[in-house]
Amino acid sequence: MKSWPIIRPYVMIAPALIVFLLFFIYPIYYMVYLSLHSWDFISPTKDFVGLSNFQQLLNSSEFAKVLSNTLVYTFGTVVFSITLALFLALWLNRSTRIHRLAQTAVFSPYIISLASIALLWLWMMDPDFGLLNWLLSLVGIPKQPWLTDQNTALFSLILVAVWKGVGFNTLVFIAGLQSIPKDLYEAADLDQSPKWRTFYKITLPMLTPTLFFLVVTNVIVSFQVFDTVHIMTLGGPVNSTNTLVFNIYMHGFRFFNIGYASAVGVILLILLAIMTWLYFRLLSKRVHYQ
Amino acid sequence: MKLLNYLLKGLNWVLLLTVILIFIFPFFWMITTAFKSFSETMMFPPKWIPDQWLWQNFVDAWQSGPFLHYYINSITVTVSILVLQFLTVIPASYAFARYRFKGDRFLFALIMITLMIPAQLIFLPVYLQMSSWGLIDSLASLIIPFASSAFGIFLIRQAFKQVPNELIEAARLDQASEWKIMWKIMVPYAKPTIITFALFSFITHWNDYFWPLVMTNSELSRTLPVGIARLRDIDSGASWNLVMAGNMLLVVPILVIFFLAQRHIIKAFVYTGVK
Amino acid sequence: MNYLKTKLTVGIAAILLSIVIPACGNEANSVQQQSEDGRPIIQFWHAFGGAGSSVEALVEEYNNYQNEVYVNATYQGDYLENQSKIQAAIAARNHPDVTVIEAGAIGAFAKAGALVDLGELVKQEDMSLDDFVPGLLGNSYWDDTLVALPFARSTPLLYMNKNMLEEVGLDISGPTTWDELEEYARKLTIPEERYGFTTATNTWLFEALVFQNGGEILSEDGKKSLFHSDAGVEALQYWMDMIDEGIMKNPPAERGFDVSQQDFVNQNAAMLFASTGSLGSILDSIEGQGFEVITSFLPKKEEFATPSGGSNLVILENTSEERQQAAWEFVKWMTEKEQTIQFSQATGYMPVRQSAIDSEDMQAIYENSPQFKVAVDQLAYARPRPMVPAYHELQVIITIEMQRAILEDGVSAQEALTAAAERGNELLSK
Repeated sequence: MKSWPIIRPYVMIAPALIVFLLFFIYPIYYMVYLSLHSWDFISPTKDFVGLSNFQQLLNSSEFAKVLSNTLVYTFGTVVFSITLALFLALWLNRSTRIHRLAQTAVFSPYIISLASIALLWLWMMDPDFGLLNWLLSLVGIPKQPWLTDQNTALFSLILVAVWKGVGFNTLVFIAGLQSIPKDLYEAADLDQSPKWRTFYKITLPMLTPTLFFLVVTNVIVSFQVFDTVHIMTLGGPVNSTNTLVFNIYMHGFRFFNIGYASAVGVILLILLAIMTWLYFRLLSKRVHYQ
Repeated sequence: MKLLNYLLKGLNWVLLLTVILIFIFPFFWMITTAFKSFSETMMFPPKWIPDQWLWQNFVDAWQSGPFLHYYINSITVTVSILVLQFLTVIPASYAFARYRFKGDRFLFALIMITLMIPAQLIFLPVYLQMSSWGLIDSLASLIIPFASSAFGIFLIRQAFKQVPNELIEAARLDQASEWKIMWKIMVPYAKPTIITFALFSFITHWNDYFWPLVMTNSELSRTLPVGIARLRDIDSGASWNLVMAGNMLLVVPILVIFFLAQRHIIKAFVYTGVK
Repeated sequence: MNYLKTKLTVGIAAILLSIVIPACGNEANSVQQQSEDGRPIIQFWHAFGGAGSSVEALVEEYNNYQNEVYVNATYQGDYLENQSKIQAAIAARNHPDVTVIEAGAIGAFAKAGALVDLGELVKQEDMSLDDFVPGLLGNSYWDDTLVALPFARSTPLLYMNKNMLEEVGLDISGPTTWDELEEYARKLTIPEERYGFTTATNTWLFEALVFQNGGEILSEDGKKSLFHSDAGVEALQYWMDMIDEGIMKNPPAERGFDVSQQDFVNQNAAMLFASTGSLGSILDSIEGQGFEVITSFLPKKEEFATPSGGSNLVILENTSEERQQAAWEFVKWMTEKEQTIQFSQATGYMPVRQSAIDSEDMQAIYENSPQFKVAVDQLAYARPRPMVPAYHELQVIITIEMQRAILEDGVSAQEALTAAAERGNELLSK
């Protein structure tokens, strides 16, 4: 019984830890292992092939396209959604009824299933009967192909992601704004500093941690885009919306190149690790300066 | 000057209403489409309000798949995940918040790292693991990978840390067991955080499309989001009225909860995110 | 009190769990073993969205017809999706007993040893295969072993909107050559309002064009791509020219079949290449729209030709002897004369038995709705699809490369097909 207090914390952590080890940590190891093998899901043996899956992937024009799609999508989503959110936050950060209503409205898509939203927008982006083309026709813009053209499809997915995600970013910014001490602004008022200057000198620096948090989380979420691709475009037209996770899914579950799919997974893992490392590095820096 | 002020105020209102419309209108569109007849969906310019509100669409959508099953599965999966998370997250959070032990920092870091590992990255190896256990296409495969939550541990540990030491010391003097302290003092104290986390978790798993898509093969174990996305395949995907009717089956419960517990939910997603 | 309450909560949670977890366990092998009335269950996965109700009606009939087993039919998405689910399920060892596999993918599954040798079962009971329509057995053999029976079989047809043809004064017997099809499409097009012609620019239909132009898809040993020959390039160029001219609509490849069919039904396109298996759903959805649909052979270039398509029924390995036998009884029943007539009548897929085609029922249908007969007549010109396992992946690549040529400026038909062929040769040599 004496040793109980020593064991106790481990026992308390154990159930959670087992889940993480089994379903998060071990699969990472297993994925790296599979990426070095060639396997079709059914054969009894997995052949060790060294780095040849990676070689194949680096020589593949499809993979280059997939990687660039993912990066363009991520860049587009993050930049649009965060800029827009910052603007909305500055504007909506009041407590009148209508401002609060607007906050709620902007946020509401965020809690809806992405599958639902994908279906809804698929319908709104229908080139023939869709709502969006009708709206465009009101202002004299011709019908757009949206998801059916390789030049506009990825952009259309970005649009959906921004619509869904901007509300979250906005409210996080508002929370950030509200945590800025009021006396800073009072001092600025006393100095009769112009508004843009106050924004530039006080608001923006104080918001940097929030901004930073949002950039990292948004990037990580964008890297994983799958639901909209699977429901709205299936990676097309001509691979123009084929992204990393969708590519893993296709090679894993459609073509049964498990090794290759795992190799793509390893690349995604590296990208995520870089983001995480960046986050913690900058986070620790910030703590330093404070 | 005054006139200009009024103008600006009016403009502000117009713009605010526009923003609200941009985010609310698609939902309105979903609802009216769900009540339209098939030929009304195929009109351009589109029809705003259907001539007749066809409740029949919901019946048709409901009957085009085993929706009762989908509903039961979605509820079972989400509730089980919540219960399991409650049981695994609370003790772990307590241990991390209140004890010092060998390797505590390492173990905590290990768990926090999993925050950065999305399901979308590891589904392939997990699928293989599940299949070797014979769990593919079972509700268990949708539940047990999420039986704990790193995010939950992070949040609730934070909340537990804020419990005043005196409270705990006093309880210890009263010979209260650690078990009792955890459930009787810590949990009630951290209740707002726990509710917040539960809402977050509920919505996340209720909405999940990816994991059930990958792990299930049969109607018996599919959940609502996957079931609804399949509506589009039926009848060559032309029947947008039925697809939207089905879509409402998934969206409405969440919207209702959202409008009932708006504050809590916004807090769940946003304010905890900032900490 | 509070303490009691938490205890109570924990208790309830524990009870909940004890219900949930065994429940999950039960469903773990979702291959449920018994139906409610105690019959063993045979799992059957299919890939029919539009025709799904017809398949499920047949299955229900079978369940009423006999009382040895209960067949449970599950829709898994289109052919590709169903096949990927099957393959993943084989790995997970919880695959169904019976499924449908698209004609061009039989090889991939047979080679992996996933399909039961039906030849043995046929031999055991002295069953004759002579009644099966010969052109449809082409995708049923792997290494001279019978691994599949034809079920939902199709060829592509040319669908035409009769009223539109009449409106512009075209002969309603339809175009018979590529040039005529182009001419028809031109005359039927009204810019901004409707296209003369549309089709999924999909590998299956591309095969048809290549065959018609005297070309081949793969070499006979299945080791080399041949579709990038002149015959293939001309075929793709033919589509590209019509698309550029604005007389043919190119739907997004990923949903090509759905979208082109919708355009035809909604009268946004006057002519359509689509499977005969869509006939039932097309006729259903134009009811009351005020126009008539006629069908004919795909037009020829050098010759009339078409790939046969659709899917075959297979039994998957690794089910017990007993279940295998039960699955076999089901597969046999599904392909019998009465059932194939019923299925054909409802969907437009071809009857798979000669006796069914000759039957009074079917002849009466052909008399009343001649659209149903075209595919059967066209069978005389039908060829099997390539069977090599790698074709499963290659056909997706061909479709994507064709789209690239069609959609991207500066990519020629030759370049795109050569790129696909090179990738194909890599896959084929594996």
